[in-house]
Amino acid sequence: MSINPKEAAVFLVDYAAWLYGCGATCSRITKNVDRIAQVWGLKFEMNILPGSIQFTTEVDDCSQVFIKKTPATGISFYKNTQLSKLSWGIADGKMSLNDAKEAFRKIITAPFTNKWVVLVLASLANLGFCRIFGGDAIAMGIVFIATLAGFRLKQILIEEHMDHKLVFLICAFFSSVIATSGYIFHLGDKPEVALGTCVLYLIPGIPYINSISDLLVGEYLVAFSRFMNALLLTFCLSVGLACGILLMNLQLF
Amino acid sequence: MTYLLLVLEDAFYAALAGIGFASISNPPKNAYKYCAFISAVGHAVRYVFMHNNYHEFGLIFSSFVAALAIGFVSVGMASKAKCPPETFSFPSLLPMIPGMYAYRTVEGLVMCLFTEDEQLFNHYLYLCTSNGLTCAFDILGMVLGTIVPIFILNKISFRVTRS
Repeated sequence: MSINPKEAAVFLVDYAAWLYGCGATCSRITKNVDRIAQVWGLKFEMNILPGSIQFTTEVDDCSQVFIKKTPATGISFYKNTQLSKLSWGIADGKMSLNDAKEAFRKIITAPFTNKWVVLVLASLANLGFCRIFGGDAIAMGIVFIATLAGFRLKQILIEEHMDHKLVFLICAFFSSVIATSGYIFHLGDKPEVALGTCVLYLIPGIPYINSISDLLVGEYLVAFSRFMNALLLTFCLSVGLACGILLMNLQLF
Repeated sequence: MTYLLLVLEDAFYAALAGIGFASISNPPKNAYKYCAFISAVGHAVRYVFMHNNYHEFGLIFSSFVAALAIGFVSVGMASKAKCPPETFSFPSLLPMIPGMYAYRTVEGLVMCLFTEDEQLFNHYLYLCTSNGLTCAFDILGMVLGTIVPIFILNKISFRVTRS
């Protein structure tokens, strides 16, 4: 298949950046890009860096470097799946470069899951979590309400483009103040479980998992970056939780 | 019988948590049912390892075994659903992420900074390090458990999205 190497490189660096942005592990990014480049006969070197992709290829007997900043899109396994399917579509010769570009554009503009559905499901998830940690029905109810309010606040603040760390701090504070109601009004037998689990919806689980996965394949820079990002968010939510507890004067520390 | 009910209850709430936390990471629509099933299997395995009459294993080992189960089931189901195994296995791990340990680590650290009493400082430092180590090795064990099947069965894992 004859392909314009520059055009192909621009597509591939964009493709890799989007895979990174939607939460794919480094091993998947490398495998998918390898698969496409092999079928296009493109010789390349790719460095996955924290926040950007560096792609080097030969164009007209001259090495050219293409750098693409990874998009600040949310984690999306839907896009991850579709982008992986796209790589097989190209590798199996079912798509030309132009078809691939069109399919790629459609994938990256696909909408996220309905925010109201996510809100209810995440609140139910935290309710389930509360039960797993030994909470009673009242504690579960408190956690459901605290999560519902905190998660809605998170959605609103993110829509307002507020810094994510600040969003995590504010939401944890908000949820923890609601969750202290078990202590304040002496509701149920397990107010401590309600308070402990009310902020778990904020724990950045996927970045933690991705960072360890990247660490194991030797992508130390990306692993460290993802880990530090997750750690900072955890730090912010812990501060928010501690502020909520101190504000309500619970004397738990 | 009561024990079985306890395991099923744990699995049910883990499935609920699995669906909810998966929804935050925008999975394909057909992935929800797999996430629920795999979360339930993983959590039930961990519950059985941690609570039984023969030998109660620690959190880290139990999480590792549960993650292995999640990993193998995910790879098996990935070819059926034509999605990368991470689409199911990573969200299914979320109910097992030691969130409480994570923020207790940070809480311990913050409290270290606000105390001048040596004994109290040592206590908070202990809370910070013990929670931090448990959290770090728990996540490490879980991720290792999940990605080992992906790499062992890599012929399946990286080809499932081929139509």
